[in-house]
Amino acid sequence: MHSVFGRGNAMAAYTLSVLAGLTFCCFLSTVFLDYRTPATINTRQVVVKSIPDYSASREKNDLGYVTFDLKTDLTHLFNWNVKQLFLYVTAEYQTPSNEFNQVVLWDKIILRGENAVIDLKNIHAKYYFWDDGNGLRGHKNVTLTLSWNIIPNAGLLPNVGAIGSHSFSFPPEYTTSRV
Amino acid sequence: MDFFSNIPTHMDYKGQGRSEKLSRMIITLFGVVGLVWGYYIQQFSATVYVLGAGFLLASILTIPPWPMYRRKPLNWQKPRPSPREDGAETQSPKSKKKK
Repeated sequence: MHSVFGRGNAMAAYTLSVLAGLTFCCFLSTVFLDYRTPATINTRQVVVKSIPDYSASREKNDLGYVTFDLKTDLTHLFNWNVKQLFLYVTAEYQTPSNEFNQVVLWDKIILRGENAVIDLKNIHAKYYFWDDGNGLRGHKNVTLTLSWNIIPNAGLLPNVGAIGSHSFSFPPEYTTSRV
Repeated sequence: MDFFSNIPTHMDYKGQGRSEKLSRMIITLFGVVGLVWGYYIQQFSATVYVLGAGFLLASILTIPPWPMYRRKPLNWQKPRPSPREDGAETQSPKSKKKK
């Protein structure tokens, strides 16, 4: 440490080591928190159509069309190690051809500081609800679930499911009218 | 030019040790305080800024060779008047060879 450069270099290295330690403390302070919270989902309009899915093949597949309500309060999930939440609504169901189907219908990013009280009515799905066959018509048990992915400053990126989901059934006939 | 070349720019050995110790204490203290403060207001960027302030303060206090790091100079012995260079240097190898 006999020169100005040597002292500056040692100090910068030590500062960065301390910063790494502080970041680890920040991670430790939030890693055991429980980020689950209740949410309510209700479907409004549920229809199913049989139309060709040109993105996959020319065969006709089932396309679900769902609008739903979503209500939850995520304000208390934010802390000094949460930068944003990535919300997404998934539909989960079982068909004869697949043990487990999971389709993302809708998503939303909430940054820290933005309004995290969600009360949405009759929202349309952002993404197509395609089945890879004809499994949707007359299906008795499709479950909508809200989940969120926590984006932290440092640490894990957990996917957390909301407490509470909504199950609904598709009508037994295809819709031919425009929706 | 003599004026500039006579400005002392060194630290003595004790001063170097003290400057490093002081810088580590300042940065550690600001880091701990920043962590507590950042946790209190739940804003991790505050922690980083407090640590950065500690880095700046420590840089000002311990990087330039301030006079406070020059208080314990080494006591060098007076240079001995060397008799002759060839005589002083070649004496020991010669004695080894004779043995």
